[in-house]
Amino acid sequence: MLTKSVRYLRILVMVVVLGMVVAACGGETGSDTTGAPDAPGETEAPGDEEPSGGGEVVDLTFWTFVQAHADFIESQAAEYNASQSEVEIRIESTSIDWDDMHNRLLIALQSGTGAPDLVDVEISRFGPFSRGEVQFHPLTDIVERNSENLVSERLAPYTVDGVPYGIDYHLGAYLMYYNTEITDAAGVDIDAIQTWDDYIEAGLKVKEEVGVPMTTIETSAGFSLNGLMLLNGGGRYDADNNRILEDPANIEAAEFIQSLIFEHEIAVVAPGTEHHAVEFFESFNAGESASFWMPQWYMIRFPENMPDLEGKIKVRPLPAFEPGGAVTTMGGGTGTAITLQIDPDKVEVAKDFLEFAKLTYDAQVKLWTVLGFDPFWLEVYDDPALAEPDPWFGNEPVMANIKDMLDRLIPEYTGPHYAEISTRMGDVMAFELFEEQRDAAEVFAEAEAEIAGME
Amino acid sequence: MLPSPKSSVVLSDEDLGGQERRPGTPFLQRPGVVATVFLAPFLILFSVFRVWPIISAVSISLQDIQSIGQGEFIGLGNYGSLLDNESFIAALKNTALYTGGTLLLLVPIPLMLAALLHSGSVKAPGAFRTILFLPLLAGLVVVGVVFQLILTENGVMNAGLGLFGLPRLAWLDVPELALPSLLIVAVWRWTGINIVYFSTGLATIPNDLHEAAVIDGASGIRRFLHISLPLTKPIILFVSVLTLIGGFQLFVEPFILWAQQGGVGPNRAGMSIVVLLYRTAFTNFQLGLASAIGVVLALIITVIAIVQLRAFGFFARDETNSGRRRRSR
Repeated sequence: MLTKSVRYLRILVMVVVLGMVVAACGGETGSDTTGAPDAPGETEAPGDEEPSGGGEVVDLTFWTFVQAHADFIESQAAEYNASQSEVEIRIESTSIDWDDMHNRLLIALQSGTGAPDLVDVEISRFGPFSRGEVQFHPLTDIVERNSENLVSERLAPYTVDGVPYGIDYHLGAYLMYYNTEITDAAGVDIDAIQTWDDYIEAGLKVKEEVGVPMTTIETSAGFSLNGLMLLNGGGRYDADNNRILEDPANIEAAEFIQSLIFEHEIAVVAPGTEHHAVEFFESFNAGESASFWMPQWYMIRFPENMPDLEGKIKVRPLPAFEPGGAVTTMGGGTGTAITLQIDPDKVEVAKDFLEFAKLTYDAQVKLWTVLGFDPFWLEVYDDPALAEPDPWFGNEPVMANIKDMLDRLIPEYTGPHYAEISTRMGDVMAFELFEEQRDAAEVFAEAEAEIAGME
Repeated sequence: MLPSPKSSVVLSDEDLGGQERRPGTPFLQRPGVVATVFLAPFLILFSVFRVWPIISAVSISLQDIQSIGQGEFIGLGNYGSLLDNESFIAALKNTALYTGGTLLLLVPIPLMLAALLHSGSVKAPGAFRTILFLPLLAGLVVVGVVFQLILTENGVMNAGLGLFGLPRLAWLDVPELALPSLLIVAVWRWTGINIVYFSTGLATIPNDLHEAAVIDGASGIRRFLHISLPLTKPIILFVSVLTLIGGFQLFVEPFILWAQQGGVGPNRAGMSIVVLLYRTAFTNFQLGLASAIGVVLALIITVIAIVQLRAFGFFARDETNSGRRRRSR
């Protein structure tokens, strides 16, 4: 027979085990009010704390995948608080890896809880959030208030059925980056390159005189292809969000790049297969090719990754397909949006702050002076801060050069399957076109068939 | 003979069922209650974190979910679409080739190395074993990053090839070299642990057998083929099944090696089924299709594992053993 103490011990063990089970299976308990500061979605309601600046305190959580963006938004919050006394914004920013952040955002929005108030959404990941009920608050009012100043095309990637849902950090104008040490050695005047025919002629000269290719093409990313698709009047979607993959302009653009590689032999596949590969950085830094086209935000990669090129790089518009034609388009982008999970009481404050942080004259100047990005506010390009010559880039006022291109800018539009097309372009299309020299019409037809099969 | 309840620590179901419940036994002291309470934590956690997600995945795989909070029941539509899905076919092919490659490399090579260590012809086998085991201690992400540097065009691998006058290869940029790159990582990483498994198996073989064979004039190779190999069959089976499952679950290595390309490699040559599943679910947000890929992957692994187990006579041996047990009663 068991003694009383053994019996009590058994009961105690069982109670402990049961307690552990309940604790393991239970969710948040009402007693947990510690509110970990980094827990996504946990924001303090306005008025819960004494404001330090006299206004009502509003906590806003913000997710991004670029620490510089987090720093920028936080510094803008400080400016916002100093500019008025009614509200004191407190930004709780979290910088997470690109892939991880978008995945977490999807899960949080799908599960109905845990999303931040403000979030950066990269252009290639915006599509899934725009299908069905768009998961962000419309920003129509703040955009309309500033529409006459803005380069309206920059809002297109985050616009669904005419309603804007995100505000970008830059214009993302496509530029041609020339290594002038090579072009000068070949006797090429980069300012004389106005059309792609001029570019081919210059490329042949560079190849003959210096012995290096004029340019490099990505085969595992879509920037080389997409840039020229858009420049030629094509793209992935049109202004009405209709998919236009098989548009002749896209096929012509792909065939043109093929001609640079296989016919004129002035282009090669980028070392490392893309312009963000270490191999490419090393190669371009060593002067193994003369130029390439990428959006403006690529400029900030040079000082860190290609330090030997300081002063040698000059930025110019893309050559036009025909005289007087478009000389730039838009590439990449990250829109800041307000999620539907924000406390409804905070929506207006968040929109007001977003307008202040990105859609004011001063904010647009800072996009260049702080982040190094091209603004999308026309008047800003006349600001002295943007007219200063940049020693790194041939001691030229890069932004002043970009201003001259803005009236010949082709916008980029997005749609519900933009992400899948991006994936397809980087995974398959660029490789098949520029490594295997496959028929461009077939490659685009196969891509269209795959995307159509997803609907 | 049935074990006495007093002498046995672990009671079988049969034993528990056979016990007579004395009138007046407190509820919490009844054997069934105690067993249930102690099993409950596992069963609850297993149900919540394993069984429920599996049921949920199957349910999601029958829906078309492409937008947040919305889904439409489409029956087997997602499964049907996989049949002519280029990406899925490419991923399946890559994964099958990788798994086949790992089976060919990670079973015989470690087995032979383990036999070599066990033969006594290697000095300091402990140190040798430790060195081979070390790669397992490195995190997979670290391994991926290190191999990304090793396999880059200016990396150590090409420097090594250069010493022998061989040309530099673009290991990570050419589709034909994607699978060999993944296999190089796999061999480096998993050879050591497989040697440990095989060494354990070889250590259980009685020395008498080898001594008798030596007296009969058997060479080292013949002893390996006719004694060591047959008697390590259960270990070979174990390692093969582990390798098979690991092969089909390939994810981290390609995801890190081709980080900039989302883990797919040149022209999708490094894309595994799990990488495709991940991209379908999160990059493209096609949850229904991604769940269908997951279910198909689970079925593939199950079927191949069963075939493998049958081929090794796993089920046959069980039947024989249970037959013996029955006869002995």
